[in-house]
Amino acid sequence: MSKRSKWRVAAALGAALAVASVGIAKADDGEYGVLMKTLANPFWGAMAEGVKAGAEKAGVKYFLQAAESDQASEPQLNLCNTMLQRKPVAMITAAISSTNLLPCLKAAQDAKIKIVDLDNNLDQTVLDNEGIKVTFHIGSDNIAAGAQAADYLAQKLGKDAKGPVLVIEGLSGNITSQKRASGFADRLKEAAPGLEIIGSLPGDWDRGKAASIANDTLTAHPDLAAIFCANDGMALGAVEAVYAAGKGDQVTIIGVDGNSDAVKSIKQGRLNASVAQLPYLVGEQAVENVKKALAGETVPESIAVPTLVVTKDTLEAGTDPLLKYLK
Amino acid sequence: MIADGTQSNPWTRAQRACVESLHIRLESLVVLIGLAAVMTVLSPYFLSLSNLLNILLATSTIGVLAISATFVLGAGGLDLSIGSVMGLAGVVGALVAVNLNWPWPLAVLACLLAGAAAGNINGQLVTRAFVPAFIVTLGMLGLARGLALVISNGRAIYGLPSAMVYIGQGRPFGIPMPVIIFVVTALLAHCVLAYTRFGRHTLALGDSEGAARAAGIRVAHHSRIIYTLSGALAGLAGLLFTARVNAGDPTAGLNYELTAITAAIIGGTNLFGGRASILGTIIGALIMGVLQNGLTLMAVQSYYQQMAIGAVLILAVFIDQYQVRRESRV
Repeated sequence: MSKRSKWRVAAALGAALAVASVGIAKADDGEYGVLMKTLANPFWGAMAEGVKAGAEKAGVKYFLQAAESDQASEPQLNLCNTMLQRKPVAMITAAISSTNLLPCLKAAQDAKIKIVDLDNNLDQTVLDNEGIKVTFHIGSDNIAAGAQAADYLAQKLGKDAKGPVLVIEGLSGNITSQKRASGFADRLKEAAPGLEIIGSLPGDWDRGKAASIANDTLTAHPDLAAIFCANDGMALGAVEAVYAAGKGDQVTIIGVDGNSDAVKSIKQGRLNASVAQLPYLVGEQAVENVKKALAGETVPESIAVPTLVVTKDTLEAGTDPLLKYLK
Repeated sequence: MIADGTQSNPWTRAQRACVESLHIRLESLVVLIGLAAVMTVLSPYFLSLSNLLNILLATSTIGVLAISATFVLGAGGLDLSIGSVMGLAGVVGALVAVNLNWPWPLAVLACLLAGAAAGNINGQLVTRAFVPAFIVTLGMLGLARGLALVISNGRAIYGLPSAMVYIGQGRPFGIPMPVIIFVVTALLAHCVLAYTRFGRHTLALGDSEGAARAAGIRVAHHSRIIYTLSGALAGLAGLLFTARVNAGDPTAGLNYELTAITAAIIGGTNLFGGRASILGTIIGALIMGVLQNGLTLMAVQSYYQQMAIGAVLILAVFIDQYQVRRESRV
């Protein structure tokens, strides 16, 4: 009797799943697998929309999975292994760490599945050690993003401007942060040599920490001309500190990411600029380039998706064609 | 089946214990097979050797953790810290192997010892300081996670020696190493819980602490061993995680404790102690594994998978309660 009731449960489960599966397409030949870090974050949500648009435009089928959080490295590996069972022709993956998906990517390579590194999460040295060859890396060019911030600053203050500049980095040692900071510093030297970087300090991606660094620096350098932060969260922290010190008009503050809080602050005229990443464009171009690669066309090993300097003027003018990708 | 078990057969106690433990297994096995049959029908990719191994591989870390949860729950305790402890153990192992550059067997040992130490602290606090297990292990959940972040500076530790990576990624005879470790651990744990005095004492303790004490079981001492064992198994899970992703990740095992407890309960373990079966737990973990795998193969988004597992948990306990009530009426 107890057995029978369990069978009933199994039958009920089956029925529920059968209902749930209506409308789920069976895998087709030539399908792309897309594996993201998570969808619980507007950045990845915008990228997923870009993937969808790219797939519709290119006329290809894809199936998308994401881990429950951007820290679930083992669950993401499990998802990746399972996705391979559907035998996709390409795996577009945004790995949570530079190593967590390696066993799965190796298996994908053995099965002749094309591998794409979405959003530049894989490390070329690690890949070489493992003998894994990715078809291409794609993502925002973080060095260029830093350089764009420097160009904006030189343009706003004039190339003969003089004064101290503070750089607030992310977690010390983080590669994304390093690229943004070095891109900014290198370009600033050429574009406005009079602007001197007096410190490049780790703010650990933390708004509060960035605010106190900005505050301390203002005490030591009351004539501070500008602050460049490696992300928007820290830039917004710096904005608070600068306005609290009554120097909102004196200090130019620039962030990176283009998230909605930053855009709001730019509209209010507090944050001066943010170099926006365009995840929608990254997703769209990833799919387009996979299609090219599968068709035998040559695709660059590393694809840099443009970033966009968002200021109050560009937002009000609304003419930049990239603005529509700002989510 | 219940009726068979209670008939006065000339069986030894061990044989009866065997059947009783199998009883739980058969119950949930039916659900597992039913679920697998459904998945086979719904997805052409489900039923293949490589996918079945893939399910076992995906279940291995959480399965080891679920074994840990089964012992503690069976003994009437609760350990919410196992997910954090596995994160801590993995980081300790990686630090020993990478930063100290000690040989890999020491790193493996360090994982297990770090887990056992955290578990032992839980046990000491529960039995000597009389702080409720929920509070102690909730505190340890924060302590272990925080310590893992502190000693790793919040960053994953890469570059494990290849022998350690083999534990997570090697495939002797085509079978993934974590699966081998998981199966061996499960069989050992099953024998300990089902056939030894230690196992009987564990369940007696979970059934009624007072009765267990009256029967001469050293209750506090036994609890400390259980919590230490729980921590050591969490350490083993941490080792598997670390070796699989080739990094000592301080965020490893976030929320895994709840998944592990879910697996144990789906497998028939009583949340309040006294009844537990390792094989039942393994089947509980596999039910979740099959569900996740099948839904992923059908390209169902992972958020729906979490809903499905939540529903199965409630359903499993509902069926369980329903049967208990029916049996008590007979």
